[in-house]
Amino acid sequence: MNENESIIIGIDLGTTNSLVGVVDSGFPIVLADQNGDRLLPSCVSWPAGQPPLIGNEALRSRILSPGRTVTSIKRFIGRTFADLSEDEIREAGFTVVPGTVGEIEVQLDSETRISPEKISSLILQRLKENAEAALEMPVTRAVITVPAYFNNTQREATKRAAELAGLTVERIINEPTAAALAYGLDKLDEESTVAVYDLGGGTFDLSILQMKDGFFEVISTAGDTRLGGDDLDRAIAQHFIEVLSPGPLSPEEEATVMVRAREAKEALSSEESVIIRFPFFRENESYEVALTRARFEELIAPVIERTRPICQRAFAEAANKGAGRVQKLILVGGSTRIPLVREKLKTWLDLEPDVSQHPDETVALGAAIQAGMLCGRVRQIILVDVTPLSLGIETFGGLMNVIIPRNTTIPTKAGELFTNAVDNQESMAIRVLQGERELAKDNWLLGEVTVPFSPGPRSSARVGVQFSIDRNGILEVLARDTATGEDHVLEIRNAAINVDDEAVERMVSESIDYAFEDMNERIWTEATFKSAELLPAVAEALTLVGSLLPDEDRAAIDRASMNVRQILEGTEHNAPALKAANSALDEATQTLAALLVEAAFSDLD
Amino acid sequence: MTSYFALLGLPETLILEAASVEDSWRTLTRNEPSGSLEPDLNRARATLLDPVTRLAHWLELRAPDARVDRTIEPALMDLFSEIGPVIKTTDDLLNRHRKATTALARAVLTREAIAAQLRIQQLLQRLQTLKTSLIERFDAIEADVENGCFDEATKSLGQLKFLSRWEEQCRERLLSLIAC
Repeated sequence: MNENESIIIGIDLGTTNSLVGVVDSGFPIVLADQNGDRLLPSCVSWPAGQPPLIGNEALRSRILSPGRTVTSIKRFIGRTFADLSEDEIREAGFTVVPGTVGEIEVQLDSETRISPEKISSLILQRLKENAEAALEMPVTRAVITVPAYFNNTQREATKRAAELAGLTVERIINEPTAAALAYGLDKLDEESTVAVYDLGGGTFDLSILQMKDGFFEVISTAGDTRLGGDDLDRAIAQHFIEVLSPGPLSPEEEATVMVRAREAKEALSSEESVIIRFPFFRENESYEVALTRARFEELIAPVIERTRPICQRAFAEAANKGAGRVQKLILVGGSTRIPLVREKLKTWLDLEPDVSQHPDETVALGAAIQAGMLCGRVRQIILVDVTPLSLGIETFGGLMNVIIPRNTTIPTKAGELFTNAVDNQESMAIRVLQGERELAKDNWLLGEVTVPFSPGPRSSARVGVQFSIDRNGILEVLARDTATGEDHVLEIRNAAINVDDEAVERMVSESIDYAFEDMNERIWTEATFKSAELLPAVAEALTLVGSLLPDEDRAAIDRASMNVRQILEGTEHNAPALKAANSALDEATQTLAALLVEAAFSDLD
Repeated sequence: MTSYFALLGLPETLILEAASVEDSWRTLTRNEPSGSLEPDLNRARATLLDPVTRLAHWLELRAPDARVDRTIEPALMDLFSEIGPVIKTTDDLLNRHRKATTALARAVLTREAIAAQLRIQQLLQRLQTLKTSLIERFDAIEADVENGCFDEATKSLGQLKFLSRWEEQCRERLLSLIAC
């Protein structure tokens, strides 16, 4: 085999953008397409009767044919329909339906349904073609990155997508780990502990690594696979909708607002204010919305705040595992360009963020380095990663029994012994779970394996089951009959296959047919829950720290509470009004909430 | 049963320095080109770094049939009866926190969260003290076992396993509370 045939590319398959890189003369580089673009938007569009468009071309048709243009498919890969929240289905921007075994499918029109894996494979295929054109040679092998917090099913689905695109996956590595690799490649002689804060288009990860003697070892990782730049866009889009108050939006209008929200976000990362134009938005009316940096920051702060407990968790776990003080905080992902993110991190973690890495390209460079190590093009660095989620099985009583705890160094394996509970029992089904919650049902169900028993009286058959997690973070289950000593791989079957047709039918109808009909009633009910949470909290907080509150704040809170009460007591269920009143009260009580937290902490001294 | 001590090329003793475990693991991992041994090396490292799993493994090598003594000493029982209620009230608090959707509703819970955090930290400290006192007797345990007496070893392992489990449960809550 000559060197060309053995080339391995590194791919960052992102929520918003995807990239491909390779090691060239010892250095990792990102490859450009024929137009010179290095970022390929992770977007696929199907103009009626034509082959799919991918990347920028697809993105341009987003506003024209929103239902046939798919963005952020990474948020759906490897998940089941039942796992989706109503918001996720509603906000997708295209029609999401359950497939025959409870998996997710995208419905383009009455005849065409397509899986998230297939959609991802189209993006991967384009990256493969771009790499082949740039390198002038065929490419068949790849390293692909995934969010550190991806579970087993999401990793496997990503791997299948690559195979569909004609790529052999040589390794799956975690995005923050890849970023650390790119950061540390020229610092191999240093010894340090670093944190990687990776806020991408749809996912958030925080990993803490120790770099020492050519080892890059992940000590702890935490994350949220449903938190990213998309959520920031949505917060801004919501604001535009409130300002324009156009009533219900058509899919085209919704897509327009989302696109403008993203433009506003990008502009406000460097400018102090922007004017966003909506030309011929409705009935040929044009609108303009001005947005200042300060207002923008207010809108996105709640989303950014959601990364804080995740950071704290990873830091606490690293400290608990004896990691030294974190010396560097490396920022990765497009959303870390936002000044507010940097400011918040400085306060929360008392670290000056290191912005030496290119937010969009670092992960791809790391993937390229890993690919280069696998085909002998760069010096060996030993990457040691962990499994982000605890792996366990369901026990009697619906509890989760942890077999491999989260943050365990991979590859790893652990065994359990199973025995027949009754005479001549043929087999036993084990439900395999991933997650941190005590109840089995609160965790992800990865699937079911069937342990076979040889015939005999109860407790006579003994089968050792070995759960191993490979260096891709992917699970394999082996059974060994202790009598015969025979090993064989147990298939992890999709347990969602048991979802009965009726349940699927109900899920579909609830998500599509009724979505608009009883929208008002549902929003009303949801909003009453929020009022029921806020009003007593206001009363309690005012008793505790009301005296410390400035008069004008107090007056604003009283007005806002009164407004909520009046709407609740009204005969008409005015859902939008209640929702707005709740938001107003929520906003009016921010100072009160801060005072309360401050008072709770000052009692400590 | 493979000896993790042998795998890492370490003496089969309960008194091990973390640094020597780490050094062996690094050297062996670096020189493991095929990678097929890595799951075992990683398991060995994790098992030997934690004194409780180290004792369990060591005992299993010495006396595969020895049963762990699962009776709880009275002193531990008292502690356990304190831990139970604290865990329960904390879980209840965490549940309310998880359901809260507004900054104010969460702020109302801050005082309780801080109190719970302090209580759990105190419990963790006591658990740590108890563990340390048992671990400090490892040399005596080792001497006993060499003389064919397994009583203290099986008993200590039983107590240490309980302590580790409670420690883990407390730490889990503490992590959630920190993030409140």
